[in-house]
Amino acid sequence: MRQGTKVSILLLTLVLASVLLAGCAQQQAQPQDIKVGAVVSLTGAGSNVGKHMKQSAELAVSEINAQGGVFVKAYNKKLPITLIEADDETKGDSAVKAVTKLISEDKVDILVGGYSSGVTTATQGVVAEKQVPYIVTGASSPDITRRKDVNTSYFFHYCPTTAMYGQYTTLFMDQVIRLAINEKFEFNDSRPLRVAILYQDSAYGKGVLNGVTSTITGNNLKIQIVSNQSFKLGETDFRTPLTAIKAAKPDVIYPAAFPAEQIPIVVQARRDVNLNTIILAVETNDNPDYYTGIGHFGEYSVIESRFSPYATPQSALATADLKFKADYKAKFGTLPDMMGTSTYEGVYIAAKAIENAGTLDKATVRDALANILMPEIVEAIKDRTITFSPDYREVQFMLFMEQLFWDDQAGEVRPKIVWPSDLKEQDFVLPDWYQPGSG
Amino acid sequence: MALDFNILLQVLFWGLYAGCIYILLATGLNLIFGVMKIVNFAHGELLMLGAYITSTVFVLSGFNPYSLILLTMLVLGLIGIVVERLCFRPILGTGKLNEIFLSLGLIYVFQNGVALIWGDERQVLNSPYQMVSVPIGAIQLPIDYIIIIVITVLILAGLHLLLRRTDLGRAIRATSQNRKGAMIVGIDVERMDMISFGIGSGLAAAAGTLWVVSGQVFNPYIGSIPAIKAFSIVILGGLGSIPGAIVGGLLYGIAENGAAYFLGGIWKDSISFLILIIVLIFRPTGLFGESAE
Repeated sequence: MRQGTKVSILLLTLVLASVLLAGCAQQQAQPQDIKVGAVVSLTGAGSNVGKHMKQSAELAVSEINAQGGVFVKAYNKKLPITLIEADDETKGDSAVKAVTKLISEDKVDILVGGYSSGVTTATQGVVAEKQVPYIVTGASSPDITRRKDVNTSYFFHYCPTTAMYGQYTTLFMDQVIRLAINEKFEFNDSRPLRVAILYQDSAYGKGVLNGVTSTITGNNLKIQIVSNQSFKLGETDFRTPLTAIKAAKPDVIYPAAFPAEQIPIVVQARRDVNLNTIILAVETNDNPDYYTGIGHFGEYSVIESRFSPYATPQSALATADLKFKADYKAKFGTLPDMMGTSTYEGVYIAAKAIENAGTLDKATVRDALANILMPEIVEAIKDRTITFSPDYREVQFMLFMEQLFWDDQAGEVRPKIVWPSDLKEQDFVLPDWYQPGSG
Repeated sequence: MALDFNILLQVLFWGLYAGCIYILLATGLNLIFGVMKIVNFAHGELLMLGAYITSTVFVLSGFNPYSLILLTMLVLGLIGIVVERLCFRPILGTGKLNEIFLSLGLIYVFQNGVALIWGDERQVLNSPYQMVSVPIGAIQLPIDYIIIIVITVLILAGLHLLLRRTDLGRAIRATSQNRKGAMIVGIDVERMDMISFGIGSGLAAAAGTLWVVSGQVFNPYIGSIPAIKAFSIVILGGLGSIPGAIVGGLLYGIAENGAAYFLGGIWKDSISFLILIIVLIFRPTGLFGESAE
């Protein structure tokens, strides 16, 4: 073979190889879809909440895809979202496997979900190492974005923290319950509200407790913690701690508990220990099972919330709230829950961040999340705009307090929003059977 | 912490109630261990099954849930017999590891089976007497707990009569005391295994019924913690000793609630095992045990 022919063949080979490689590169650069990984608890203790988170994410994806998907500038076209779900089994080790699979095998572009704080924090090392944006929509521990031992810069906290629960509930106790008791029983305004706290011995329970104490001291409120009882995660027998609380003569009881614990707390307090007092609850209890579980014993109790299956805030969001509930019920035959709602919104936030980023590059999407400004979707957000705080990437939700009243038609208690004034449906009621603590 | 007599009386009462559930569970476990010398780690799942059966029949029939206790015990007794025949009998005497892993496997079978049939969401059943209280001294006690304590006493009295006053009971005790000797005198020990397993399962079912009528939340996973406590009570009272299970159950119920009141809720479980360690140091065979297995 002549030298010129050899050179020609070599050049031709190089050209072909270049065309092929360019084609591959072009294929890599032109994804067919946006892969969103949903980290949900489909089995284990969190399965009832996980089911709603999964279904809500599916609803959001179906709505976005029905509009043609998400416009990504780099490809100059709309891409549909493919939702890939992974069951964390409500266990830390299983969650690490689930998240690792989503990142390494399924090659997701962004993660959404995470319920239990303990389970979610277990996955943070993997996410930090792989640098995948993660919108956490269920885990409430402030540590999710505040811990220092792991790089949390890819985590965005889209649900209120335990500190926020404690803060809002304490302000409600001071501004509403304390005044109602003083008025009804003609107590002097200097009399402090007597609060008993029954908290789960976990990061969640202690977070709520810290939220209460720091709000009392920070605002110099007239609130006295007269009993402080703890219990282990998963406890179902609260009769003795409640008896100890009764001995302390509280005006209100504030348990920091999951629904499987809060239901027996309410029933045992009212039925077994005869505590004729107001029992408060943390927002995670605001789901249909809770209303069924507490029965008559839940009458006049109070839940801090941000989304309720049975109540609609009197705000501009009422239409969106009712539409979401109707769409969810039409698709799944049941009402949505709170964690599902924030997961639904989390998928929309992910879509908006990718659209703003104009690419699927994870670092760019992370930056887009950090700078996101979008209108509230279903849940009320401060200034009606979803934006993550620059320090800990948290969102300021507008929480509200609901009081539960018996509904003959439903055969269960149903909530009415009683605080704050701009969202409330009616005033807080101190029932006839209510007995204040001593002092 | 103020020492108010009425408060202490109420805490003692909660201890008695908790003790009743423990006693029924531990007595059944001990009966099975005494006769078959096997350790069934899935015993708590029988309590859980009892809770679901009571709840389901109650929802379907509307009968008073207390009236369903015998039916639940019968159903679980039959399930226990099937489990003994199909699972434990084939491996009896082949080594403790086989028994342990078989019963661990049964935990998952029962939990997943129940989750498949009834779902794994928490449930609760309301007693028809949930609004009724009776005054005892200066305190008001819900009548449900008094009924639970009375039913437990009746079941234990029935078990005592069965074991002490009937031929079947004597045969069960003989098998428990000396298996080979029982065989020599013509007792069908395999039949005694089957019956003991059935009775033990029935007692766990009774605990399950009382669990739900007391308003406790239940789901497929509630059996694990009570089972661990029951095992601990069996060791505390003495392996194979039914009086030991009764005393141990009461001791645990009262100690746990006392610790929760005086020391805080997080001490509730710790105190049980602290008592167990102390008893075993001074009496390695347990309170009523004569020989260690």
